[in-house]
Amino acid sequence: MTQDFRIDGGLVDRKQTLKFSFNGRDMYGYAGDTLASALLANGQRLVARSFKYHRPRGIFSAGSEEPNALVHLGQGARLEPNTRATVTELFDGLHASSQNHRGSLEHDFMAVNDRLSQFLSAGFYYKTFMWPKSFWEKVYEPVIRASAGLGKLSMQPDPDTYDKGFLHCDILIIGAGPAGLAAALASGHAGARVILADEDFLLGGRLNSDTQSIGEQSGAHWAQDSLAELASMSNVRILRRSTVYGAFDHGIYGILERKTDHLADGGGKPRHVLWRVYSKRAILCAGATERSIAFANNDRPGIMLSGAVRSYANRWGVAAGKKVAVFTNNDSGWQTAADLSAMGISISAVIDTRDIVAPMAISGAALVMGGRIKDTRGRKALDAITLTSGLTVPVDCLAVSGGWSPNVQLTCHQRGRPQWNDAIAAFVPGGELPKGLTVAGAASGQMTLAAALKSGRKTAGQALVDLGFKYTSAPALKASDEAFSVTPFWHVSGSKRAWVDLQNDVTTKDIKQAQREGFQSVEHLKRYTTMGMATDQGKTANVLGLAVMAEATGQSIPQTGTTIFRPPYSPVALGAFGGRAVGNEFRPTRLTPSHKWATECGAVFTETGAWMRAQWFVRAGETHWRESVDREVRDTRASVGICDVSTLGKIDIQGRDAAAFLNKVYANGFARLAVGKVRYGIMLREDGLCYDDGTTARLSETHYVMTTTTANAGLVYQRLEFARQCLWPDMDVHVISVTDGWAQYAVAGPNARKLLQKIVDPEHDIATEAFGFMACGDVTVCGGTAARLFRISFSGELAYEIAVPTRYGDGLIRALMSAGREFDVTAYGVEALSVMRIEKGHPVGSELTGQTTALELGMDRMVSKTKDSIGSALSQRSELQRDDGRRLVGLIPVDTSDTLTAGAHFLDIGAAAKMENDLGWMTSVAHSPTLGHSIGLGFVKLGHIRHGDVIRAWDGVRGTDIKVEITSPHFYDPKGGLQRA
Amino acid sequence: MPEFALAAVSALDGYSQDFDGAVLREVTDLEIVSVAVPIAGQKKLAAKIKSAYGCAVPKPTTTTQSKDGLVRLVSTQADQFLLLFDTATPDGGDKVAAQLNTAGYITDQTDNWAVLRLSGPNSRTALERICPVDLHPDVFALNASARTHMEHLGVLVIRTEADAFLLLSARSSAKSFLHAVVVSVKNVT
Repeated sequence: MTQDFRIDGGLVDRKQTLKFSFNGRDMYGYAGDTLASALLANGQRLVARSFKYHRPRGIFSAGSEEPNALVHLGQGARLEPNTRATVTELFDGLHASSQNHRGSLEHDFMAVNDRLSQFLSAGFYYKTFMWPKSFWEKVYEPVIRASAGLGKLSMQPDPDTYDKGFLHCDILIIGAGPAGLAAALASGHAGARVILADEDFLLGGRLNSDTQSIGEQSGAHWAQDSLAELASMSNVRILRRSTVYGAFDHGIYGILERKTDHLADGGGKPRHVLWRVYSKRAILCAGATERSIAFANNDRPGIMLSGAVRSYANRWGVAAGKKVAVFTNNDSGWQTAADLSAMGISISAVIDTRDIVAPMAISGAALVMGGRIKDTRGRKALDAITLTSGLTVPVDCLAVSGGWSPNVQLTCHQRGRPQWNDAIAAFVPGGELPKGLTVAGAASGQMTLAAALKSGRKTAGQALVDLGFKYTSAPALKASDEAFSVTPFWHVSGSKRAWVDLQNDVTTKDIKQAQREGFQSVEHLKRYTTMGMATDQGKTANVLGLAVMAEATGQSIPQTGTTIFRPPYSPVALGAFGGRAVGNEFRPTRLTPSHKWATECGAVFTETGAWMRAQWFVRAGETHWRESVDREVRDTRASVGICDVSTLGKIDIQGRDAAAFLNKVYANGFARLAVGKVRYGIMLREDGLCYDDGTTARLSETHYVMTTTTANAGLVYQRLEFARQCLWPDMDVHVISVTDGWAQYAVAGPNARKLLQKIVDPEHDIATEAFGFMACGDVTVCGGTAARLFRISFSGELAYEIAVPTRYGDGLIRALMSAGREFDVTAYGVEALSVMRIEKGHPVGSELTGQTTALELGMDRMVSKTKDSIGSALSQRSELQRDDGRRLVGLIPVDTSDTLTAGAHFLDIGAAAKMENDLGWMTSVAHSPTLGHSIGLGFVKLGHIRHGDVIRAWDGVRGTDIKVEITSPHFYDPKGGLQRA
Repeated sequence: MPEFALAAVSALDGYSQDFDGAVLREVTDLEIVSVAVPIAGQKKLAAKIKSAYGCAVPKPTTTTQSKDGLVRLVSTQADQFLLLFDTATPDGGDKVAAQLNTAGYITDQTDNWAVLRLSGPNSRTALERICPVDLHPDVFALNASARTHMEHLGVLVIRTEADAFLLLSARSSAKSFLHAVVVSVKNVT
């Protein structure tokens, strides 16, 4: 196709021809074009089908308010639906295609909907699909779902990358039109840190679309000179292609910067960056958006906003039509006629709804004052309009202006409610604006160029003074203050459909129907008709719709009210919200000191919070995880096993009052723990329930190291800080995490000591007489490396935990495994660890859920009655001390070939599976290679006096019902002789 | 001669890479020792610091340096600061303890951290992508420090030179942290 509609002028670079395709047809445009301007230049008027009626639609606007021209952009995995052609910067090789049609764009089978329109009016789906009831799920819903939406997804993973970032400034200026540029210049000169953000790729706003001058320059030249000046200031940052999409708390704004959408090849860099901007002040200079007038069949391709038609001519050198008419209720429509006429485009008629003297003469045009358009004609694009007078005018473009609405969206993001301004027949910012935000230019209702420049500078001046900058007012910029007069006129009455919201196919009839059916509140109106929803958020439709509702209810527009806005101002790709946090990088991963070694040894890893822990180690010939785990348990109990337990929380506690402090945070006594000894402890929440357990070792009079469970490491640390800072600020106690600083390995099994004696330097006696159960102390290993040794056991075996600074963690695991070769040492993972702790009856997170008590866990005697500690008082509440409550027990299947399942509920034999018969639940299960069958831990009502009873483990989810015998939870070495050996 | 010897490994295997306008290196020889200030012991500790290092205890968000420039003191919270210094031997805690002689509570923190040094004219632009703190030279002055988070990870950031930053983050998640910084640098260079 050739660019038949390209005319002279404009700000495009005609030296750079760009090839692109639309629906497979090659076309050409220039650098500086949008997809919309290039399509118009190529005479492509039909670009889309409407949402509901599948009516032919063309380009309506020239900005982010576009309701019609939504296209598929890109191909393959990069296919992106619902992209607005009016803000899509043209690049060489761009592929676009139309959407929302079955069959071709020209011959859409779904256009039959248009003939069924009387059945598809507002809220039809609430009324139409009510019977037969069974059809809803099988027939109606699938059909509606298949028809709903506009574009299609690629259904492939997004190949692009996204990023986020943080910016800081004194003043954020939102919009780089005349007001924004004036504000930026004033702020930049005053020395403030300024961010100037604009969604366009060519900054200047309407200055690039209009012909007004500033001083001796055209507005567009002034804008470019101003930008060059701003770019030379080190304190000013200009963000092009950047939409401020939301105003959040405390001066924080969200900006979407489109980095590579305009490039044929993004070079592997992130496509979008989502900035969080911390500002001290913000100035909204977002301009205004033109709105339409509703009249019969006002949605045909070729019917456009008047300001957009002017933009295509002035900025892009494109005639939106060859025979153009203007329909307006304000002076801005006349500007369009004048500009186009001056560029040689034929103006057939100017129809002004106002009964006034024509503001100007337009060569060759019929001027119809007080005129109305009754209807339009043209199957796939406009070819004629008919006035109420009966006059029919052949045209291929109708430029409509129903007035301008300030872009108040961001002022509403903290629930500011716009106020009606009769002088400009529009809503202006009102109510409580986001703190620190002020508004200038057309966004504040200053609708002319000189006023916008003046208000931009003045608003910046106020912000500068507020922030303590020196601001010297400069002489006002000389600018033509164009005529701006509007007399509200909303719609031409008639029996045919007149569109209000083009994107959602909402007509004046729909709004009147909503009024008749009682949905008169603006919030109801929006939801019942869907007006103002979807990608354009009603930017061109809302005020018109409110006006039609106001007229229907006999109220004024202020009485009718307005809906308000929430972020985002315009669509933001979900990928941008995700940023770089995708795939394996969704969140950070923590690796244990032995991770590299474990990987070499065939470890299968599991996620424990952020940690990657070795679950088990697969040896040659092992084909099932149970083989590996059973072997690890057997070998550990038979000789010696080693497990990386570095993930346990480790907290260094020091201070003169450290002993007293620990005595308050643990439920059991810690005041008299001797130096060189470790004690097991439980911690209660303030309400008396248990929340964590662990050990604490006393290294010196004033120095302790506490271990917590892996899962609660952060929580315990936080609570210790709270306790020392807020509960007992006079205590001299200091805590600091050392979790990452120590590589710690459990060495367990009958040969644990023998193995360690090869590692621990000989001057340290670790024989049981010198280093008994629950001893701890500083040692050196492997010829002088500082280490800590703790004689504690989670497995129930003779066991130690040995810790070295993390840098030596890899070396130590290798040394331990080498030293243990003569004992057939095995490395074991968290699965074997879990099996052995269940055999031993130690509780973990499955039992210590934060909802269980010390009494239920069988640890009630640990809660000291002779001292005050966190939670001790409330743990004595009668409900928490019930004799008939649940208790932790062991469970063994009566038929030992049965496999127990965690989560099963307990029932008496013969009892129905009902809540009132529920005795408790299974918390942990394992296959015990030591006992040769499945074992479990669980809470059973009165379990402590029911040892030996047989009950049922009923699992409704997995469909099992197994007889189990209640036992002590301590299956293995209940007297603890082995660990004391 | 012991049968087994332990070799020290750094958190990031000595990572080092040059980018366009940015250099990213793992710092492997930095000892990190925390000092907690005893209740009612501020004056005594300050005097000890002054006599041992010739500088003051740093105020929050700042660092101070010893007279000889070899030790950097970094405030981490109201009653705690870190000492950072190069050493050939892993006995930082002992060295500081010897200097302070019970005037403060000492914890060797060296192995808790992975340390990166990001320098060059693009370092700030790269950090913009992950660092919520304002690192503008006029705001984050030379020797300033801040505790913040980057990609969900706690980070201590210190400006050591005009365009150079030390970044300290937890050792166990060092690889994720390195990935975050490398992606940031690559995204802007």
